[in-house]
Amino acid sequence: MTGETRRRWPYVVLTGLVSAAVAVWAFPHLGDNAHVLSGPYVGNDVGPALPRLTLGMFVDSWSAEVMLLAAAIAFLVQLYSTKYMAAERFGSYALLIVLFLVAMVAVVATDNLFVLLIGWEVMGVCSYLLIGHHWERDDAQSGAAKALLVTRAADIGLLLAILLLGQTYGTYSIRGVLIATGHEHPRNATLIGLLLIIAVVGKSAQVPLQTWLPDAMPGPTPITALIHAATMVAAGVFLLARLLPVFDASSVAMTTLAIVAAVTMLSAALFALTQTDLKRALAWSTVSQLAVMFAAVAVANGRAAIDHLISHGSFKALLFLGCGVAMHVVGSSSLADMGGLRTSIRATFWTMTVGFAALAGVVPTVGFFTKDEVLEAVHGATNGHGAIDPTMAWAVLIAVALTAVITAAYSTRLWALTFLGESKEKHPTPFVMYGPLAVLALSTFALSFGKPFRLDVAGVSTGLVVVGVALGWLLRQRTWTSVPGRVLAGEFGFDRIFSRAVPGVALADARAVVWTDDTVVDAYPRGGSHTALAAGWVMNRLQSAKAQLYATAIVVGAVLLVLLGVLGGVGR
Amino acid sequence: MMLLLPLELSAVLFGIGLYGVLARRNAVLALIGVELMLNAANIQLVAFDAWFADVRHTGQVLTLYVIALAAAELGLGLAIVLALFRARGTIDLDDVEPVRDGRHP
Repeated sequence: MTGETRRRWPYVVLTGLVSAAVAVWAFPHLGDNAHVLSGPYVGNDVGPALPRLTLGMFVDSWSAEVMLLAAAIAFLVQLYSTKYMAAERFGSYALLIVLFLVAMVAVVATDNLFVLLIGWEVMGVCSYLLIGHHWERDDAQSGAAKALLVTRAADIGLLLAILLLGQTYGTYSIRGVLIATGHEHPRNATLIGLLLIIAVVGKSAQVPLQTWLPDAMPGPTPITALIHAATMVAAGVFLLARLLPVFDASSVAMTTLAIVAAVTMLSAALFALTQTDLKRALAWSTVSQLAVMFAAVAVANGRAAIDHLISHGSFKALLFLGCGVAMHVVGSSSLADMGGLRTSIRATFWTMTVGFAALAGVVPTVGFFTKDEVLEAVHGATNGHGAIDPTMAWAVLIAVALTAVITAAYSTRLWALTFLGESKEKHPTPFVMYGPLAVLALSTFALSFGKPFRLDVAGVSTGLVVVGVALGWLLRQRTWTSVPGRVLAGEFGFDRIFSRAVPGVALADARAVVWTDDTVVDAYPRGGSHTALAAGWVMNRLQSAKAQLYATAIVVGAVLLVLLGVLGGVGR
Repeated sequence: MMLLLPLELSAVLFGIGLYGVLARRNAVLALIGVELMLNAANIQLVAFDAWFADVRHTGQVLTLYVIALAAAELGLGLAIVLALFRARGTIDLDDVEPVRDGRHP
C-alpha cells in the first residue's frame, strides 16, 4: 500500500462511522408500521403555520429501509473509490459523499417539511459538485450544470407544494399532515399532488425532465452508483410514497403520475435497449426502473414502490460499480470497446451477471420479487377501486409488462456485449473494488428472503423475462444501422429541446434584459453625467481669463441689480 | 438746477470711462478709462458738497483722498503695464495669456 492510498483510509473510516450511526439509528425502526399514526389532531380551523425549522424526526419502516440502503451504499462506494479514483481532489470528493449521505438521511428521516427541502437542495448541490468532479472536461461541466439547473427548476414545485401543505393543514410537520389526512377528506389534493409530481419528475429524471440523468454520466462511476441507487433519484420516489395519503384521492394527480410513469418506463427502456455506451444504457435503465416505482405509487401502493426502490438500489449500485471495473480495464465505457471480459475480470463477471439477472427479474434475485409486487399492485388497480381509471390501470399494467420484457432484453444485450466474445488478457481486481461487488451481489439474494410470492404472477413475469432474454440475445449488436434503432439510440432527439431551445430562450431573455438595462435604466445615470458635463463646459467657457469680459459681466450685473431695485421700488 | 449740469458731466465722463475700460484693448487706455470713472465720481462728490452747503466739506475732503488714491493706483497700474510689456512684448489685453497654476510662459 503506498502512502498516497493510505491517506484515503481516514475518509473511509469517517464514512463508516456515519453509516454505522445511521444504521444503528434506523435498525430499531424497521418494524414500525407507517400507517398507524398517533398524535394530536389540531383540526382544520387553524390558520397557515409559520415556516419553522424543527429537529423532529419521523422514522418509520420505510425511512429505516431507505436509510440503511443509503448508509450501506455510501460506505461501499467510499471503499470502492479508494482504489478507483485518481489522487487529485480526493479529500473533497470523499467528504461530499458523506454530505450526500447526510442530506439523504435528512430527507428521509425528518418530520419537518423545510428540513426535507434543505436536504433535497443539498443533495442537488452535492450531485452538481460530484458530477462535475472532473471539471476540466467540457462534458462533465455541462452535465453537472444541466443536472443542477433541471433539478433546481423542478424544485420550485416542491417549495410550492410545501407552502400549500402548510396553508391547507396548518402545519409543516409530515406527521401532522398525515394525521390530518386520516381525519378529514384531503383538501387541495390535486394541486399539491401535481406540484409534488413536478418536483419528483425533476429529481428522479422522469419525462419530460429525464435528460439530465444520462447526461450526468461524465461524473465518476462510483458517484453514478451512489446517485442512481441510494440518493438523489431515490429521494423522489420516497417523497411521493411518504406523502401518498395527501394526494391519493385526486384522480387527476394519480392519472398524471401514471401517464408520466408509463411513458417514461417504456421510452427509457427502449433508449437503454439501443444505447451504444454501457454506462449510458445503465442510466436509462435507472430512469425506466424509477418509472416502474412511480407506477406503483400511482396505484397507491407505496409499499411496492419502496420495496422496488431498495431492490433496485442494491442491484443498480452493483451494476454501476461493476461497470466502473470494466471501464478501468477497457479504458472507455463504449460497448464497441467491450467484449470478452468474462475471463479477464472474473469476479466482476460473476457479480455483474447476478446484477443483470436482478435487473431482468430472473427468479431467485430480489429484482424478480419486487417487480412482481409492482405488477400485482398495478393489476390490483384494474378493478376500479383506486383513484385511477381501470382503463388507465390496464394501460399502466401493459406498460409495466412491456417494460419487463424490454428490461430483460437490454440486460441480456448489455451482458452479452460486455462479457462474451473472445477473451482478453487477465486483469486482477483489487479487493476493495470487488469486495463491494460481492456484498451487493449477496444482498440481491439476501433481500429476497421473506418476500411475498404468488405463483400466477411469478409465472407470467418469468414468461415475460424469457421472451425478453430471447429478444435481447437476437439484438446483441454493438451499433445500429436500421432506422428505428438509430432513432431510438438518438433518444428521439428529445434532448434538443433542453440543449438548444432552453439556452436559446435564456439567451434571448438575457439580451432583452441587457438591452433594457442599456437603453432604459442607464438613461438616468447617463443623462445625469451628460448634464454635469454640459454645466461644466458652460462654466469652463465663463472662466475665460479675459479681465474685460469679467468686468463687463460685473457691469451688466450691477445695472441689472439697479434696474431691479428701481423697478421694484416703483412697483411698491 | 445748478446741480444738474455737473451731474450730467459726471455721467458722461463715467460712461466714457466705462467704455474705455470695457472696450479698449490697449492697457494704458483702459487705465485712463479707470481714471475717468474716478474723476466722474469726484465731480459728483464736489457737486453734492456744494449743493448741501456742508460746512465741514466732507465731500471735498473725500475728493482729495480719491485724487491721491487715483495717483497711487495709476502709478501701480502703469508699473504693471511696463512689466507686462517687458515680459510679453505687448500691452494688448487680448494677447495677454492667462496666468494659471502650473503653466509658465
